Amino acid sequence: MSGRARVRARGMARSPDSLSVQCTQTSPSGMLTPVDLSDSEASFSGDVEGTSRISQPCNKGVSSGDVGSTFVEKSVKIRQDCMDLGVCTREKWAHVRDSKTGSSGIPVKLATNLFNLDLPQDWQLYQYHVTYIPDLASRRLRIALLYNHSKLSNHAKAFDGTILFLSQKLEEKVIELSTETQRGETVKMTVTLTRELPSSSPMCIQVFNIIFKKILKKLSMYQIGRNFYKPSEPVEIPQHKLSLWPGFAVCVSHFERSLLFGADVSYKVLRNETVLEFMTDLCYKIGTSCFTQMCEQQLIGLIVLTRYNNKTYRVDDIDWSVKPTHTFQRRDGSEITYIDYYRQQYNIILSDLNQPVLVSLLKSKRNDNTEPKIVHLIPELCFLTGLAGQATSDFQLMKAVAEEMRLSPLGRQQRLARLADDIQRNKDARFELETWGLHFGSQMSLTGRVLPSEKILMQDHVCQPMSAADWSKDIRTCKILNVQSLNKWLIVCSNRAENVIEGFLSCLRRVGSSMGFNVGYPKIIKVQENTAAFLRAIQQHVDLHVQLVMCILPSDQKNYYDSIKKYLSSDCPVPSQCVLSRTLNKQGMMMSIATKIALQMSCKLGGELWAVEIPLKSLMVVGIDTCKDTLGKQVVVVGFVASINPRITRWFSRCILQRTTTDIADCLKVFMTGALKEWYKHNHDLPARIIVYRDGVGDGQLRAVIEYEVPQLLSSVAESGSKTSSRLSVIVVRKKCLPRFFTEMNRTVQNAPVGTVVDSEATRPEWYDFYLITKAACRGTVSPTHYNVIYDDNGLKPDHMQRLTFKLCHLYYNWQGLISIPAPCQYAHKLTYLVAQSIHKEPNLELANYLFYL
Amino acid sequence: MPNRRASRNAYYFFVQEKIPELRRRGLPVARVADAIPYCSADWAKLVSTPLRKPGKFIPKPCFSPPDMSSLSLKSDQALLGGIFYFLNIYSHGELPPHCEQRFLPCEIGCVKYSLQEGIMAVFHSFINPGEIPRGFRFHCQAASDSTHKIPISNFEFGHDQATVLQNFYKFIHPNLGNWPSIYCKSDDRARVNWCLKRMARVSEIRQDIELLTVEDLVVGIYQQKFLKEPSKTWVRSLLDVAMWDYSSNTRCKWHEEHDILFCALAVCKKIAYCISNSLATLFGIQLTGAHIPLQDYEASNSVTPKMVVLDAGRYWNQRVESPGFSHFSCSNQEQRSNTPSDDYPSGVKIPGQNSHARGRGITRLLESISNSSSSIHKFSK
Repeated sequence: MSGRARVRARGMARSPDSLSVQCTQTSPSGMLTPVDLSDSEASFSGDVEGTSRISQPCNKGVSSGDVGSTFVEKSVKIRQDCMDLGVCTREKWAHVRDSKTGSSGIPVKLATNLFNLDLPQDWQLYQYHVTYIPDLASRRLRIALLYNHSKLSNHAKAFDGTILFLSQKLEEKVIELSTETQRGETVKMTVTLTRELPSSSPMCIQVFNIIFKKILKKLSMYQIGRNFYKPSEPVEIPQHKLSLWPGFAVCVSHFERSLLFGADVSYKVLRNETVLEFMTDLCYKIGTSCFTQMCEQQLIGLIVLTRYNNKTYRVDDIDWSVKPTHTFQRRDGSEITYIDYYRQQYNIILSDLNQPVLVSLLKSKRNDNTEPKIVHLIPELCFLTGLAGQATSDFQLMKAVAEEMRLSPLGRQQRLARLADDIQRNKDARFELETWGLHFGSQMSLTGRVLPSEKILMQDHVCQPMSAADWSKDIRTCKILNVQSLNKWLIVCSNRAENVIEGFLSCLRRVGSSMGFNVGYPKIIKVQENTAAFLRAIQQHVDLHVQLVMCILPSDQKNYYDSIKKYLSSDCPVPSQCVLSRTLNKQGMMMSIATKIALQMSCKLGGELWAVEIPLKSLMVVGIDTCKDTLGKQVVVVGFVASINPRITRWFSRCILQRTTTDIADCLKVFMTGALKEWYKHNHDLPARIIVYRDGVGDGQLRAVIEYEVPQLLSSVAESGSKTSSRLSVIVVRKKCLPRFFTEMNRTVQNAPVGTVVDSEATRPEWYDFYLITKAACRGTVSPTHYNVIYDDNGLKPDHMQRLTFKLCHLYYNWQGLISIPAPCQYAHKLTYLVAQSIHKEPNLELANYLFYL
Repeated sequence: MPNRRASRNAYYFFVQEKIPELRRRGLPVARVADAIPYCSADWAKLVSTPLRKPGKFIPKPCFSPPDMSSLSLKSDQALLGGIFYFLNIYSHGELPPHCEQRFLPCEIGCVKYSLQEGIMAVFHSFINPGEIPRGFRFHCQAASDSTHKIPISNFEFGHDQATVLQNFYKFIHPNLGNWPSIYCKSDDRARVNWCLKRMARVSEIRQDIELLTVEDLVVGIYQQKFLKEPSKTWVRSLLDVAMWDYSSNTRCKWHEEHDILFCALAVCKKIAYCISNSLATLFGIQLTGAHIPLQDYEASNSVTPKMVVLDAGRYWNQRVESPGFSHFSCSNQEQRSNTPSDDYPSGVKIPGQNSHARGRGITRLLESISNSSSSIHKFSK
């Protein structure tokens, strides 16, 4: 991933570092906060300044439990995914209150990446509020003073400077402690009990995560971003100057029955090259004349890692006027040179005294418009991370990286076993767990079910595919359900591409006729190789009767694709098919390429390729996804794709550009009403059931979806005007989730087969949710998709809901096989992606009935 | 979605918004209906903020917005001859609100336009954005990369802001007298306005230029001519088209050479094209090369080997008979493509286009050529 892509990715994962408390640092009262450390360690309450705002909750007395949790929200920043856990949706639906498990399919024993965490029955967490007299501003000092106090030294504790968590209750509700700083000042600390929390409280989950952060630190793993990595055991790829730090994404949470610890293998890609080395190399290569300019061009936007504190920064600027011999001001006002600072603080001697400094802007933690903090970094100490643009296109490099990173289920299992072993064997880690009263248990296994495979319905043939992952071979001779014949169409190509067109056309016609898609002769327009010529040719030759325009593009330059798609999707609505001339040059693969293109073209003309059996009559399925516009003007593209026939083979697609910063959709009412009208037009009735699959919901947004999006859908359904309004279900789809499931076989583990559904143990008690594996991986480990039913008027049995979802994963016409999410979601994703990347405006409504964006 | 309740028109929402204020004034308003009598006067008042134009919704056919009346376009003739300036200024991104400097102007484009004459003159210049605020280089670079791609520093064509502004003033205000009204797209208005002010401050030239939106101009012209209000969507779709994106002689030289879509001059020219294409035609004006990039379409009408049309289907059977046939690179073919035929009528209608129609004879000619196609085939390679 290139630096910028990473930035974008980080931007999407909301506030990656809002989860931890820095407790173990017992550095004495030096008051030293270096520029580059300012206080990027997140805490319960944001930052130090935040403490004064929450100074008086103590007189409210002890509230037990986490009722209402208004207090929690005000004073304590809860991890975003923990916030989602507070959203209880299951209890509202009577049909799943007692059991949300299905029954069909063959039971299969599955190993997971989850570990049991045992707690004593009556375990409680005690939350205390700590005030200091005189008031101390430095969080470090506050922490140090409290930690060093004899009264608390035997307790397991987590403290962020204001809020203290203990696993054992202190004798008294209010305790006054007095201590002395190194300078000899006497400080009085008042520790007041504010709450007693049962182990099920979301607050406890957060504390557990902090405990595990400490434990992993004791296993010499460092937190970078959200995950933990072990720099001491790097995997080196010397030929590409890369090293991979192995690590884990971990999470402690309440799953269906108990508290579990989940871990998934993760890697950090680092380049074995400091920014200084990179600069020197560059200087040798291009000379000094335009060095600064090139340097800025290549470095700005990259993510660097400083190994002395294992933190990552984005290079926002380079300050050529500052040298390591210059001084900067510390928090306490004293001046120090960069050289001295690094020697004192980290015992690092800087060798190059003429290097410039890199500038990085720290994101303000509070969402106000205060000026962001600026951080200076020394190039010599900054390592490049991630893969630059050139590197990702280097096939050998990517192969080498993938070989290391793409673990087989067995490799993954071994790594997990080792982590569990380390946690249990390490003395410090075990001690930490024990003082909190936790017991790290065994790896959990559970029973899932493999759903029966689906038959693919073709025009005059029912096909039982050999493998649900790819049935292209099975249906090669079958006719697709329905497509109009293509009589009037254009091919626009460059002069150079002419020699391939003939072969391709005859191939296309041949595969077309065998699938029942009648492809007529196109008008072929040859143009020069530039965007303007393509666009002009299209403008001149497209008229009302043209059914489709095919463009043979000379290169994958974005300009060609964007301009053609933009013109033909909004100005002049005609389905278009772009093909790279390079693709058509692959002679050996011509048949399969032509087949793929023929299928895509028939979809774009409104064709229906195949179907699966849908037992529910009059069911509309809807997919919703969001995507950020690439022009970056805080525009979110919302896509909405709804089926408009009971067979679920024809689709109505709408898309809108929304000027907000959140991913929450605003316009669903318009979309839904439009879709219902379209359904009415084709079926002369309204659908009895509507099932909406919502993708693109980030951590912490679940409540917003329930409170803001579901009402929009409901009101448009209610207003649709029939006597009995359609019944609605809304399911949040998440491709990214922590659990992994493997089948155990002959003492080895394998990927779970497609169609595996897990609806117990690894699910959440407060949700009506399940995992479904609908993707086959030939290499690496397959990850399940998580489905969370947040609204369910339909009252379908969980079994039926699971099977319906499985069926819908078969209906994506761009791939002759199963995909990892339901087809409407994938369609919505494709649509938003096209709009966000290329069109940047609403596609013409005339195309709404075609899958023009495939 | 259609309006289900007839009462909820713009006026309804206008009144609804007014209710709190009326209550503050102590008036007994419980519902929208109660408040209507108090609001009608305000409704009729002309508010010329770009977003709120209550006047537009009043069913008064002869109403014209203030910007138009200032131009005193009393007759068609005045309207046709009226001169408008379309302006756009690009910036290296937009900096967050806490920064003193919100934009970094880097390119300015302006065209002088009238419905009658089309584009009469153009002004374009790159601007030296000045020092980039420390720490925002990445931000600006990313913004530039995703749009106009103008280098953020050491750009050889960048002129200093004072010079650019002076030249711009010379362009729009060559003779002393009234300063003309300048129009830009409503989405760009905040940026253009800020940049103009900034440049004026830097160069210590004090001149407040009135910046109006193109959308309002279109509405005004339409009203003037047809005495009715065009829909907002219509106006937006009129101005937001992709068809001129890659037209020749539209972008500035630098953007054209680098084949970059985003160009300040192109934005202005495209406004002119759009207005010409949809409004000027309504006035019955013969479009010229100054109105829309006709040359692109005329060029293809002349004999040129650059673009060749093959009606593959028509010759397919023939191909089977004579395997040597693969394609034509005959220029005559080109002309045929533009002849109106039942099968493939030409897509773009351009007034004044000369048609070199030759009827069916061309088909026979082509058939005869096809016999010697093998030699042509070689020739073309």
